[in-house]
Amino acid sequence: MSVYGLERISVPVSPPGFSDDTADPHYVPAPCQVACPIGTDAPSYIGYIWEKQYAEAFEAITATNPFSSICGRVCDAPCESACRRESSDGAVQIRNLKRFIMDKLGADLPKNRFAVSRQESVGIVGSGPAGLTAAFELCKAGFSVSVYEMTDRLGGTMVWGIPQFRLPSGIIEEDIQRLQHQCPELTVHLNTALGREVTLDELKVRHNAVLLAIGAWWGKPMGVAGEDHPRVEDGVSFLRRINAGERPQMPETVVVVGGGDVAMDACRAALRLPGCKTVKVVYRRGPDEIPARKIELHHAQKEGIEFAYNTLQTGITASGDSLALQCVRTKPGPPDEDGRRSPVVVDNSAFEIPCGMVIAAVGQKGASDALDAAGLMDADRVRADFSCMRTADPKVFAAGDGAFGGSTIVMAMQHGQRAAYYIRAALDKIDSPIAYRTPYRTRRVPVAQDLKWEQLGLEEPVFHGLGDRPETFPEIEDTYDEAAAMREAARCYRCDAETGSTDYSVRHREDLFSMARTHPKDLDKHRAMLQRRLESRDNPYPPQRPASLDDLVFLPANLSRLVIDPYREACRIDIDLGQDLKLKQPFLVSGFDDAPEELRQAAWQAIDDNGAGVIGASAPDPKVSWLQILRPGESCDPAAAGYIERWHDGLAQQASIPGNGVLKGLSVALTEEIEAAVDFALSAGYDFLLLDSTGNHGAWPEELTTQPRFELLSATVAALRQRKKEEALTLIFSGGVRSGTDAARLIAMGASVVVYGVTAAIAMGGEIREGQILWHSDRTVEERAEGLQAILNANAGEASMMARCTGKTRLHNLEPEDLRSVTLKTSSITKIPVPGHNVTGHLGQS
Amino acid sequence: MVSLDLATLSVRDANAQLRTLGEAGEDVEILNPDARHHIGVGLTAPIHVTVQGSAGYFCAGLTDQAQFNVSHNVGWGVGDNMYSGSVVVGGNAGAIPGVAIRGAEIVIKGNMGSRAGQVMKAGTLCCAGNANFMAGYMMYGGTIIILGDSGERVGEDMSGGRIFVAGKVQDLGSDAMLTDLDQKEIESIHEFLDRYGSKAPKGFSKIVSAGKKLRYGTPETPMRSIPFNTFSGHSAYWNPKVQEDIAIKAQSGRYRIRGYGGARPLPHLSDIGFRKDLTDAGTHRDVVAKVRMETEIGGINGARPLKLSMPVMIAPMSYGALSRSTKYAIAMGSAMSGIAENTGEGGMSDAQRDAAGQLIFQCLGGRLGWNIHDMRRADALEIYISQGAKPGLGGQLMAKKVTPELAQIRGIPAGIDLRSPSRHPDILGADDLVIKVEEFREATGYQVPVSVKLGAGRIRDDIKIASKDGFDFVELDGMQGSTGAGSAEVIDNVGIPTLPAIIEAVEALEEINARDKIQLVLMGGLRDGIDAVKALCLGADAVAFGTSVIVAGGCISCMQCHIGQCVTGIATQDPAHEKRYQPEVEASNIHRFLESVRWQIAAITQALGYDDVTSLNREDLVALTPEAADITGLPCEPPGSDASQRQVGVVS
Repeated sequence: MSVYGLERISVPVSPPGFSDDTADPHYVPAPCQVACPIGTDAPSYIGYIWEKQYAEAFEAITATNPFSSICGRVCDAPCESACRRESSDGAVQIRNLKRFIMDKLGADLPKNRFAVSRQESVGIVGSGPAGLTAAFELCKAGFSVSVYEMTDRLGGTMVWGIPQFRLPSGIIEEDIQRLQHQCPELTVHLNTALGREVTLDELKVRHNAVLLAIGAWWGKPMGVAGEDHPRVEDGVSFLRRINAGERPQMPETVVVVGGGDVAMDACRAALRLPGCKTVKVVYRRGPDEIPARKIELHHAQKEGIEFAYNTLQTGITASGDSLALQCVRTKPGPPDEDGRRSPVVVDNSAFEIPCGMVIAAVGQKGASDALDAAGLMDADRVRADFSCMRTADPKVFAAGDGAFGGSTIVMAMQHGQRAAYYIRAALDKIDSPIAYRTPYRTRRVPVAQDLKWEQLGLEEPVFHGLGDRPETFPEIEDTYDEAAAMREAARCYRCDAETGSTDYSVRHREDLFSMARTHPKDLDKHRAMLQRRLESRDNPYPPQRPASLDDLVFLPANLSRLVIDPYREACRIDIDLGQDLKLKQPFLVSGFDDAPEELRQAAWQAIDDNGAGVIGASAPDPKVSWLQILRPGESCDPAAAGYIERWHDGLAQQASIPGNGVLKGLSVALTEEIEAAVDFALSAGYDFLLLDSTGNHGAWPEELTTQPRFELLSATVAALRQRKKEEALTLIFSGGVRSGTDAARLIAMGASVVVYGVTAAIAMGGEIREGQILWHSDRTVEERAEGLQAILNANAGEASMMARCTGKTRLHNLEPEDLRSVTLKTSSITKIPVPGHNVTGHLGQS
Repeated sequence: MVSLDLATLSVRDANAQLRTLGEAGEDVEILNPDARHHIGVGLTAPIHVTVQGSAGYFCAGLTDQAQFNVSHNVGWGVGDNMYSGSVVVGGNAGAIPGVAIRGAEIVIKGNMGSRAGQVMKAGTLCCAGNANFMAGYMMYGGTIIILGDSGERVGEDMSGGRIFVAGKVQDLGSDAMLTDLDQKEIESIHEFLDRYGSKAPKGFSKIVSAGKKLRYGTPETPMRSIPFNTFSGHSAYWNPKVQEDIAIKAQSGRYRIRGYGGARPLPHLSDIGFRKDLTDAGTHRDVVAKVRMETEIGGINGARPLKLSMPVMIAPMSYGALSRSTKYAIAMGSAMSGIAENTGEGGMSDAQRDAAGQLIFQCLGGRLGWNIHDMRRADALEIYISQGAKPGLGGQLMAKKVTPELAQIRGIPAGIDLRSPSRHPDILGADDLVIKVEEFREATGYQVPVSVKLGAGRIRDDIKIASKDGFDFVELDGMQGSTGAGSAEVIDNVGIPTLPAIIEAVEALEEINARDKIQLVLMGGLRDGIDAVKALCLGADAVAFGTSVIVAGGCISCMQCHIGQCVTGIATQDPAHEKRYQPEVEASNIHRFLESVRWQIAAITQALGYDDVTSLNREDLVALTPEAADITGLPCEPPGSDASQRQVGVVS
């Protein structure tokens, strides 16, 4: 049973008060999480394992699962069958990853402990996975809870049903201790059986509600003659004996009848016991239909268990100590309602299998005389309604295998959670609560960045099989070591996580998956999908969003222009600003005035090699092209190719700076300064304007914390155009330039040179932290120089790629007409038209 | 010997007769050719054709086995894409002689024009006179013999093959180098020249690829993509994605490369809504049977149209970017749903041809996998000009994916970082394109539709040119289209979104009264039947799905297509990875996806009050954002506004 379909589309609402993230538009629970009956946030803990955040992984695992250590060993892991990697090179080994964490941290005791905060109490009969999970949930909700267990220890089938070579007892204790630590006021009554030490009526008096989680404790008979022979035993009784510590002497050959997980445990336990040499499993259908979990079957085969498929037992005959299981052969018959093909007997195929013992593992049942007497039982289970977990008695609820038939530990745990939910609702006097749904949480862990993630193969843990001394039941396989766990974690597709594509976000992808997995005739599903797909998305450009360079796209050449091959054909990017400033790349670098000396050295080396330049207040290495930022009162350094003065109203009254033929520049930081600054620059014979869009001449802290004012560029170009002086001043743009694409956009809009500040810093190894650039001693001066060179080269390549895509062989031939704006806000600032209906004529004037 | 006189016969009729005569084994003489284009195009029989005079463009183009003799001169593109066979030209040849040849022998007795042997894969091109500039431009294999001077930039960007020059090597092209000849090579040149009656000069220079540009330098560190919601318009300026880009580029010194489509949100068909309330859409039983969806594409000029069961086809995606199994699955899935599949750049495989019901065969500038035989078994031909994801750039296929098998079908050296040319060798402008389209029609007897694939840019201009060039339909691809590998910056920043692309296309065609002269197939980020219906309302004749089909067929959108190690076996050529893909299973997933699209188209069309998809129109739509309204000219009714509430009956 899955909580909601893996084809997902509509997730039922989550009951109030649940930790559930399905309302987040960027989150769709991954298939593994949906397949898990208790909604374990597997993708997150897998992500945490890769990040070595083991404590966080432990939290993610144990948040919904009180038996995490046990599940790490023996869960039937429906998550793995749902894993999308299953159909390619094998599912991510989610259970083994859980085991890795629980082996590391399973003995840790979580900090959160549940105190009693409610008046009401709940009595729970049975301490298996269903009963104790319900106890855990009800304690969490603040009820006082008492558990009644007929044996001498807690755990039910987890203790009595699973042999120690799969589940060592210490593992069980770990979970029980954690549970009792978290539920300090949980009352435990051991050796207290219903109808023996306590009656149902007593429980109903003591407690406001009673939960029956009695389990399926008894084996079903095979229904053939001779099965009352003393050497014929049912599987669960046999396992119970073994798990109690018995190590009986076995005959040489044992036959186990049945193909489920009990049969697997029984046959493997038998094989380990003294005297046993051969174990044969008899199963009435074929190997494709055997219900045992694949890995158990696989392990049993590896250990040497023999399988007789398509074999049906008809009776048992005895002569002395030796038995013979009478059998017939079967073949698949016509499919039944479930699509399974019932076996039909092949005529004249009778044969016998001689053996010394028969273990019948053909199903289990719950039984309780007391409940029978109270009229609460069907033939082999408590009669209960799954939709509300209630029995016929309004005060009595039921959960687990004892009520709903043999299943798995994790499913029983889900029953426990469901029952706790409905008991709580009843005690809250809610008559018809919202239907229970397993909650899905995500911890939003980044995807693993292992370079080999797509190549890594499935990590098989080391398998020991019977081991050296089989009768001591040594554990069959090892836990991953850390390296193997990391490799396995890296294999996760992370179906829960967004990728970098808006149009194929996780939500869209899941919808497309659903469309591809829905039968054309399933009209209800199609209607649901259509309504969901018709929901409109949020406007990606809400009014408060600022104008952005990102909104400008380039118009590629197609038929109306010739494309210049960006891979091969040349595109000039150099710019000549005057005799002392011929830039091979139209880039300046800023922000190094306050940088450590080794960074300055690295920067000068790279800038010189690349033929770029620098702006700054202090002199760089003499060979570097330098535009000097003049502080008030300073004079022009002879080494500078030019200087930059900050525009202010008083500038006109000041004496002009002496400088023989150096470039004269004026910096403008605010739009409202443009008109006056342009007039002054034109009248005073300046050569260039530095459009300082984040202020402080490209210093990093300002660039990091200020929204760049791109409107400076279009406003300046407009002011120059208005004065018919478009070519009179060179425009240098500084602030917020991140890439070659940004450079190409700014150049298309009229800049000649752009300034890289923060971009240069990051390329040299700087890290952005709290509005500052932080440096680490993790690289040499040469490596920093190489980083800066590389980013300048990459950005030069990008900028010229943009130019060539638009059909230009020179970067500076880009023009506004080569751009379109995808937002109205950016369009209104830049006057670049939005494409579509309002672009008319080939010049694209709006 | 049969004589065909072009003074009385059209080239089209003459070519038709040539094919018949070829099958009969008759040798033919062409009289009065008068430099007409396309003489002998599409001939695939081992006969002799003698052209008495001069031939125009593409003489002997798209042929196999035939032997041509032209007594005088030829125009450009002689022997275009020729397989086996030969052409001997008595006089001079125009530009790009031997373009894209795959085994033929072409001998020019006079001089030859520029870019001789461009993108040739195999065979021999020999010129007794001088070559003009850039002989051997981007050649992948084969031999060029120049007995005169080389011309400038000989061997420019060649990635394979050899060029022998007896005269002066004027200068070497980019990434070409001189090397020594061995005796065997000299002997084989002599043997060749003897065979064609040319005198062998004393010595030769040999030019080969220097190999410096065949592979990118420092490999980029592969990274799984940062989620878009951490770098959308809502987040800080120097967001993690910006920082990662800078850090990675500071290692490689190069633009980043990735697969998939646009990362950031752009105006999209999602920003368009329906005027009517569609809450009840699909409640009628059997809507699919009630709505006419059959669509013919490509027949408007008399060719045999594609017959689509709904106005949907598969977008072009190459074998190369995708594994053979994936192309096979898509072919099967599209056939099950009665729609057309498209080969993309990488050539056609038998398995794909057999599995696909209807198959469009795409021709790109590198002519990779292009050939007359596959043209003949295609249901439509398509000239790729550009694509939405990376308009202006040719295909990129990283070396990991250029396996020997793949290289063989494309006719290129294995193991190179393949960067396909951005332009066709023989399409430098709109007029060339007319002649190229004509060549394709000649080669296929005017039976097969010819389309053009356009990435959206100056669509208002480009679409008018496309309609005048005589295409039957255009596959119009907005910038939200995806790719197997492209410059990340180009993917996100070049081109216009799909929504304005269709608007500009329709309006431009209406401006010149040519809306009925060409059919429009829209693609680029369309994901479902809802997007499809909106596109049809806005004037598209059909739509194409690419990425959504891949996602339906198992893709997990990790955006690492370019690495070549696709975890699901889709975007890979590595057999170990391809093994992970189950074509039959995924074909049925793709089929169900397409059927879901069909149901959605039908349900919405019916809910809008129509019984035929051709009735869908603009009046059915509203814009949900100011940008969408500006782009489309539709009224703006954002969700929650009075107007939109009225649609659903909240406000009376």
